[in-house]
Amino acid sequence: MRIEAQNLGWREIVQGVSCEIRPGETFGLVGPNGSGKSTLLRLLAGLMPRAAGEVRLDGVPLAQLSRRQIAQRVALVEQFADTGEALSVRDAVELGRTPWLSPLSPFGPEDTQIVERALAAVGMEEMAARAWATLSGGERQRVHIARALAQEPRVLILDEPTNHLDIHHQLALLGLVAGLPVTVVMALHDLNQAMMCDRLGVMSEGRMVACGPPAEVLTTDTLARIFRVRAQPMIDPSDGSTLFRFLPMEPSP
Amino acid sequence: MPILPLIHRRTLRVALMAAPLVATLPALAQTAYPLHLSNCGVDLTFEAAPQSVVSVGQAATEILYALDLGDRVLGTSVWFSSVLPQFEAVNASVPRLADNDPSFESVVSLRPGLVAVQYEWHIGPQGIVATREQFADLGIPTYTLPSDCVGKDNSTGSDGTRLDLYSMDSLYQGIEELAQIFDVPERGTAMVAALREREAAAIAAAEALALEDASAVFWFSSAEMDIDPYVAGQGGAPAYMMQALGLRNVVESNEEWPVVAWETIARANPSVIVLARMDRRRFEADDIERKLEFLRTDPVASQMEAVREGRIVILDAHGMDPSIRNIDALETLSAALAGFDLQ
Amino acid sequence: MTRRAALSALAVPVLAHAGLGAVLLALAVLVGVTIGEVALPLGLVGDLLAVKLLGAERALDPIDAGILWSYRLPRTLVAAACGAGLALSGVVLQALVRNALADPYLLGVSAGAGAGAVAVTLLGLGGGAIGLSAGAFGGAASAFLIVALLAKAAGGGPAQLVLAGIAGSQLFNALTSFFIAKSANAEQARGLMFWLLGNLSGVRWPDVSLALPVVGLGFLVCLAHVRPLDAFSFGSGAAASLGIAVRRVQLVLIAAVTLMTATLVSLVGSIGFVGLVIPHAMRFLVGPRHARLIPASALAGAVFLIAADIASRVLIPGQVVPIGVVTALVGAPGFALILIRNRRRS
Repeated sequence: MRIEAQNLGWREIVQGVSCEIRPGETFGLVGPNGSGKSTLLRLLAGLMPRAAGEVRLDGVPLAQLSRRQIAQRVALVEQFADTGEALSVRDAVELGRTPWLSPLSPFGPEDTQIVERALAAVGMEEMAARAWATLSGGERQRVHIARALAQEPRVLILDEPTNHLDIHHQLALLGLVAGLPVTVVMALHDLNQAMMCDRLGVMSEGRMVACGPPAEVLTTDTLARIFRVRAQPMIDPSDGSTLFRFLPMEPSP
Repeated sequence: MPILPLIHRRTLRVALMAAPLVATLPALAQTAYPLHLSNCGVDLTFEAAPQSVVSVGQAATEILYALDLGDRVLGTSVWFSSVLPQFEAVNASVPRLADNDPSFESVVSLRPGLVAVQYEWHIGPQGIVATREQFADLGIPTYTLPSDCVGKDNSTGSDGTRLDLYSMDSLYQGIEELAQIFDVPERGTAMVAALREREAAAIAAAEALALEDASAVFWFSSAEMDIDPYVAGQGGAPAYMMQALGLRNVVESNEEWPVVAWETIARANPSVIVLARMDRRRFEADDIERKLEFLRTDPVASQMEAVREGRIVILDAHGMDPSIRNIDALETLSAALAGFDLQ
Repeated sequence: MTRRAALSALAVPVLAHAGLGAVLLALAVLVGVTIGEVALPLGLVGDLLAVKLLGAERALDPIDAGILWSYRLPRTLVAAACGAGLALSGVVLQALVRNALADPYLLGVSAGAGAGAVAVTLLGLGGGAIGLSAGAFGGAASAFLIVALLAKAAGGGPAQLVLAGIAGSQLFNALTSFFIAKSANAEQARGLMFWLLGNLSGVRWPDVSLALPVVGLGFLVCLAHVRPLDAFSFGSGAAASLGIAVRRVQLVLIAAVTLMTATLVSLVGSIGFVGLVIPHAMRFLVGPRHARLIPASALAGAVFLIAADIASRVLIPGQVVPIGVVTALVGAPGFALILIRNRRRS
């Protein structure tokens, strides 16, 4: 599904962002803390009240869709989503079916299969009966992603999905996301992981200052200007991919 | 014991004959100060008659007026209904501190020689105006009508709980003690004698009816029209009236004004229903017309014998609280009973 | 299997549960009607039902029959409606506010009802045209309005609603005390406090015809929103991303809660702890999913309040204990358990 953003804005946090995300691509959003990444993701999901600008999904303005229709197309996994309810893992993932159910089409066997697949995709099928309160941070993150998958979206929006995850699950998750037949938009903290995306958008002070393939966008100059680090590009001889080693900026003479 | 008063009385009579021109009778008509009284658990000593008084409670106010002490009253408070017609003139010249509870300071600032109290609820161990100690600390004595403490526990029940049946004697005691404190004992004696006479006449009239198994309920009011009503319990002034006139109270609680379900009252099926008439309009059921309408229209209450036979008596509400109005109420009720077919 | 087949497969257990619930409720009502301050002949209930429902001809004592039909049956039905409505309100608010300690009175509804009732009775507001109940309803609704506006002005989050509710409750409780202090006529302690603690003794058939439709409507509204309520588990943001029209759902559900609570408070006074304890007890029994929690809480609330009403009539022979006292006696320890359970969880 193609996403077009035109002149998106919300208060001072995000200003005049326009970009196009192509069907099926994995689009990464990078930028320092407070640069407006999370707000932009919520804007793309149509969740901010009184937003400026317009978002189109395959040419249809978001404003013309009901919340339920949006949720059938777009799933969002936010950071820090927690609950005090005594839900099980399966309960939490089943919530993903919400936009597809109604009093006349209750939860059925098809839905059960979708939920099972979503649980398996994040490796949580063995823990389906566990209570939410007993899960670790990483396990909770995987359940949230399973819930988003159960939503069967065509656009998956993830806000720093690798947070809380150990390195094994970080890589497994990024591999899973890359293999999904859906458009993925995710904010990422780790710039080396961002290098795996098809394209990147760089946020700074509420504006998207660069957009394009990682190698074009993440230049040492950009990294110094936006992220205030000295980046040392290195080549992995095994596959020829570029990695960065980050060093503090040298004090100006 | 009987000898001394006899001698005393004879001496008095001799004195009377011997000095027919003396206007006052020192031995009877004057209080011997210092006067010691035990009043509701507090020992009081008066070196002389107080020159002024503030009353907290309508019953206390009306007793002071009845003792012709209106000119000593600096202020009144806690009014339940309009003042008795015979005291309207004197009451008009006395400032009313508050319709309801006066503040401690408003009482104290008048520097009264005495505070006369109807209910411990206002001035007493848990008094909402103050405790008696607080007044005593400022050198202001307080006198509580014994009708609120003799045989009564004010620490339980919303209006206190009667341990013994209320008796007019506690009220008479209050009248006589107030008269003594103010150095007008003969007025107290005369007033009590008159009240006793009326009380006895009302009782005798009811006895003549030879009531057998007649019962009654006193309905004061209800917080809402259909809700369980406040009715007179065993032991208060209404209970005394019922007992004196040969009526059985169908309510068995010892609280002054317990809340009892209509189903209990209807099932007990009293032969007479007494309703309180009042100026207060806090609840819909304060209005006597609304009480009567309820009895006529409620599907269950309307089936009670007293309602179907029209045996309903209306009494002044303040006459159901311990006060000199009890005798008016007793007379009204006794007269009403004579008009009912209660055999 | 198609969705329609899934629907009919679902219908069987749902109908079975609904039937079981109806039987339980009917039993509770029967017990509630039978037990009271005065003992009535046991056969009377059967005789009365035969006369009223089947049109049979039996000679019944008018007072005994009246007590059953005109006093106890409406009282028991309103107790059931009241328990169900308060429990439902508790479930909904706890889900929307995401606070385990939320209950209908959190919104200041009870305090507002008290102030409204006192304003009408003591200040003569409305010149006698407005009854105590109408005053209570007006007070409850306006208190909630004020609390909602304050919460919105403070940022609109769940924590703000709780704090605004506390502020609103304090304000309206203070108003009640002020009105009482200002009242023109002295009297002893007898009075409004009894009503404020909850009282079902004045309930008659007209109250039934108000309480049952309002709670029935509230129940249907809640039942129609079981999935949105589930979706609020992870907050309103998560609910929105699951396709819930958050504003509309919040508005509809809070309106339903306010209507139910204000109506019930105006009919029977404020009865605390039902809305707090019943939902938590039911979460413990049937789990946190609202498809089960909503009907279970409604049923448990109804049965609990009928039981509490019976207890209030028989606890002290010949005298009625305010039902709010009975529910608090059960509710306060329940409340303590919730606190302890919450601590263990976090």
